[in-house]
Amino acid sequence: MDASKRRAGERAETQPLDVLIIDDEENFLEACSQTLQTGGYRVATAKNGTEGLKLAGESHPNVVLLDLKMPGMSGLDLLGQLTKTDPSAVPVVVTGHGTVDSAVESMKLGAFDFLTKPFEPEKLLETVRRGLSLSALKKEAQAAGAAEEQRHDKYDLLLQGLDVLGEAYSLGLEKRQLLDELAYLESEARYHAESLGQIKKKERAILDIRNELREADAIMKKYDFQKNALIQVLLDIQEKFRWLPRHILSWISGRLNIPLREIYVIANFYEAFSLEPRGRHTIQVCTGTACHVRGASETLTRVSAVLGIEAGQTDSRQQFTLETVHCIGCCALAPVVQIDSQYYRDPSRSKLEKVIKSLEKEEAQACLA
Amino acid sequence: MSRLETPADLEKLREEIIAGRNAKEKWVAVCAGTGCRAYGAETLADAFEEEIEKRGLSDRIGVRRTGCHGFCERGPLVVIQPSDACFLGAQPKNVPAIIDKAVTGEGATDKLLYLDEDSGKRLGNLDEIPFYKYQKRVLLANNVRIDAANILDYIAVGGYSALAKALSGMTPEAVLEEVKKANLRGRGGGGFPAGIKWETTRKAQGEPKYVIVNADEGDPGAYMDRSLLEGNPHSVLEGLILGAYAIGASEGFIYVRQEYPLARTHAAKALEQAREYGLLGKNLLGSGFSFDVKIHRGAGAFVSGESSALMSAIEGRVGEPRPKYIRTSEKGLWGKPSCLNNVETWAYVPQIIDKGADWFRSMGTEKSKGTKIFSLVGKVKNTGLVEVPMGIPLRDIIFKIGGGIPNGKKFKAVQTGGPSGGVIPESLLDLPVAFDELSQVGSMMGSGGMIVMDENTCMVDTARYYINFLAHESCGKCVPCREGLRQMLAILERITKGWGEEQDLDTLDELAEFMEAASLCALGQSAPFPVASTLKYFRDEYLEHIREKRCSAGVCTALIAYQIDQERCKACGACLRACPVGAVNKSEDKVFTIVQAKCIKCGACYTACPDKCRAVIKVPAYTIQNQPAAAATLPAGKQ
Amino acid sequence: MSNVKMEIDGRTVEAAEGTTVLQAAKSIGIKIPTMCDDDRLEPYGGCRMCMVEIETSAGRKRLVASCVYPVEEGLRVQTTTEKIRRIRRMIIELLWPSWQPYAKEYGVTSSRFTTGLTDCSLCGLCLRYCSEVKKSNKIYFKGRGIERRPELIEGAELSCRACGECFSLCGSGWIASRC
Repeated sequence: MDASKRRAGERAETQPLDVLIIDDEENFLEACSQTLQTGGYRVATAKNGTEGLKLAGESHPNVVLLDLKMPGMSGLDLLGQLTKTDPSAVPVVVTGHGTVDSAVESMKLGAFDFLTKPFEPEKLLETVRRGLSLSALKKEAQAAGAAEEQRHDKYDLLLQGLDVLGEAYSLGLEKRQLLDELAYLESEARYHAESLGQIKKKERAILDIRNELREADAIMKKYDFQKNALIQVLLDIQEKFRWLPRHILSWISGRLNIPLREIYVIANFYEAFSLEPRGRHTIQVCTGTACHVRGASETLTRVSAVLGIEAGQTDSRQQFTLETVHCIGCCALAPVVQIDSQYYRDPSRSKLEKVIKSLEKEEAQACLA
Repeated sequence: MSRLETPADLEKLREEIIAGRNAKEKWVAVCAGTGCRAYGAETLADAFEEEIEKRGLSDRIGVRRTGCHGFCERGPLVVIQPSDACFLGAQPKNVPAIIDKAVTGEGATDKLLYLDEDSGKRLGNLDEIPFYKYQKRVLLANNVRIDAANILDYIAVGGYSALAKALSGMTPEAVLEEVKKANLRGRGGGGFPAGIKWETTRKAQGEPKYVIVNADEGDPGAYMDRSLLEGNPHSVLEGLILGAYAIGASEGFIYVRQEYPLARTHAAKALEQAREYGLLGKNLLGSGFSFDVKIHRGAGAFVSGESSALMSAIEGRVGEPRPKYIRTSEKGLWGKPSCLNNVETWAYVPQIIDKGADWFRSMGTEKSKGTKIFSLVGKVKNTGLVEVPMGIPLRDIIFKIGGGIPNGKKFKAVQTGGPSGGVIPESLLDLPVAFDELSQVGSMMGSGGMIVMDENTCMVDTARYYINFLAHESCGKCVPCREGLRQMLAILERITKGWGEEQDLDTLDELAEFMEAASLCALGQSAPFPVASTLKYFRDEYLEHIREKRCSAGVCTALIAYQIDQERCKACGACLRACPVGAVNKSEDKVFTIVQAKCIKCGACYTACPDKCRAVIKVPAYTIQNQPAAAATLPAGKQ
Repeated sequence: MSNVKMEIDGRTVEAAEGTTVLQAAKSIGIKIPTMCDDDRLEPYGGCRMCMVEIETSAGRKRLVASCVYPVEEGLRVQTTTEKIRRIRRMIIELLWPSWQPYAKEYGVTSSRFTTGLTDCSLCGLCLRYCSEVKKSNKIYFKGRGIERRPELIEGAELSCRACGECFSLCGSGWIASRC
């Protein structure tokens, strides 16, 4: 309690109101504000919708607790107006007459959570705490000059995040593990964002990761989560993502209950796997014996000169990966170069340049689209 | 379409299909193997379909996309059936003429027919072309006749009749006896008799038992298994089912290389179709025998072809050979008896059961029966897949079927057996091709790669190539293989760079003997063979690199340089355009020169220089290294 | 489990079926050199130092790794022949200078080869101990062939330092220096 008080105190200096409570029952107002103030939050109260809206407009509370059933302006109307006046406020609906219908309706109007009277003080504190962290997210987004669309992203993100939470719970994870899991996801998200240099916002990255984990799950499901399908699963992952991202390997390790070490051994042993992102197009120079005696090493030097990368490398824009392969089984056409799924018989410099250019053009068009 | 409940159902279906096929007068078989696809066979097949539709001939002529015909050098290949008229290098623009020829017998297709250089005659029929004439196509024959993605095509040419025969009238022991009697030896490398292997698994303790197809064709320079699995997957599957029946296995696996997507697709399709017709699954053809198959993709590792490593990979573990002195046929997959054979071996089984062991024994030599498919590649005119009876002399394969060495060059050696094999020099060309004969001269049958080398192939570089391949493909577990290869590679690289010493050759011999004796698995034990055999037959070439710092084949880039013969250069600029790094300069008197400091030795200029000029030449590197920077303008040395 | 009777270096030995030649030799005090062997671990068969010459009761002669070869009735084993000595000398030379316990005994004082194996002889003791005994799974072999190297899984340094049980298994000290 001491700790949270101190934190709240610090926040009070820099930030306005934590919680605004709007209810027509004075006893309730008092009880709630006391609980919350003891919890270290700055609280204000209002007895009806009109007053509440005014206060909200002035003091920009982070969380608004509002009763659905009030004389004058109804809770639902208030909720509708509130989201317009102060989009950063996180509304939590409170009612003594909770029904499924009103809950659904209020959620539609943007309520973050739903409290049914009577509730335990802990429940209230917990809800407010979560509301505050959402509000912080929302404010951050606005500060970043987020447009309306991005605001929706945040909601999506939140819902998706809750999705992940729900999933984690259904996995039967203990709470402590769950927190570890979330912290891990966040660090992965940051890693992802920084290393790719494409995704600025870590929230977006979390979303991406969540989707990626979903896809990994779908792949594992195809093989009934069987341990012995590990190599098949990794092949599918490699095909889907063009590499084996660390977080996915660790996810697979947990799901299939295989030590990460064994997955690393396999990922490092077989030719098909890459632990770094590969380009969107793969150029393979066959170095099988038939190709070798017909001058594959010269072909490789030429291809490498045209692409400006060495065998085993990917260009900085991650468009092309150049690799050598020990026989692609097309020996009669030696020396062979395979570009994506097309085979070329000893392509000349100009042929290579033409193919590369057309792939680049395709890329550019795909980007525009 | 309904499930086949009895052998009679299968026969009835076969008659129906044949009647349907015979309704058309002619079939255009377009090779859609990997090689021909690279030449645009897909578009060609589309063009045939369009043209036939356009002329309203759809009722009379059908188009079939088939597996590899074998003559990959001259693709895309088109064969008209039933006459077996064969067209080489056909393009969509030739389609109308080919159709004319097929319908009326007239059509401007001469240029698409095989030109016999000796007689100057055009040969229009498959059987007349020397490439096919000297072959004996037992396994490959059906590739031309069927669409691999259609089980009905396979049934039409007699498919699954061996299975029906076995399930309705033969005991598992009888099937096993037939294969043993045929003395079918494993086509994957060692040549171990398949029947004896089957018997070991059959008698071994433990249930269930497994049968596995090894389609992890890892030998560089070999693609027989690919073409069989792509072109006729049902023959492999039928063989596997027969094997399972004989052994008493209930589950099978097909282990396919990741690099062969088409083979995988066709195999998967074959399984699916076989299941639909009740040829896989429960109670096959009402016999009470049940069997099913799964496909496992390999993830790319040569060592995975080794039986215990392959089984580890199917179990989802890393493919390292196990250090056990117990065979996988007794304790294999998940510790259960498991019989592993390669694609070609399994594909032979239906024909042996169908036609009998005596038919099989009528082909080949005393100890090596039947035929063998080779991938005839490298410096040979007619590259492609060839199937020959065992015992045929190497010379016949390379010169009669392969047409000899292109560009008037001289034959130097032929390499068989992949990285575990060795090179065979010209003096041994009359050697009959059979398991034991090849082993005796320091090579081996292997899976069937046959890489022809001419005077422009450097044998030291060839040894270095294989050792480099193995050094990276070895699993690295045991000291002799890993460290032996590391040192062999280092020595060979020194020699190819001109830094070798004569005592290096003794060290290579010593390492070779050590690795063969001490390595953990067959990969390491046979890894020194490429070095041992080149040292045995081509020691002079090693000495030339060491003593004279010369690579007379012009391959070892550290020992050669490219130059432009100023007198022959017509200043056409082809080399300038071909050079990817701008190392070709135009000098004052308008001929071209190569700036050695910039040159990356990719050979693009050498290839680009027109044949009539041949101005770009290779010279020993030492002839220019001693010269100042302006060396490139000095008169060029002759090769 | 029944016993089998066999002969090692001319001495008769009785061993339980399912055990290895190396174990049988140890039981009568015959020492066969080993590198990758450890009583606590599954036989590995990687270093090949323990190779011996055998002759089966059927008269078949061959070289085998004694740490994985099972004992069998009537087997005759020779643990140090000239052939075997040559193999062991070559192994010591190839691993030079990372592993030299038997160098003196086999008369190896230097190596013809530049091995690059200065810090690790790739015996795999540390990682097999880590996964087989400790069930901790922190070390693995990365890559294959001549590229094979031991590697810690990411972020394992601290916990490895805290455990440290495999440090003493490592002849070259690589693992301790890495944590």
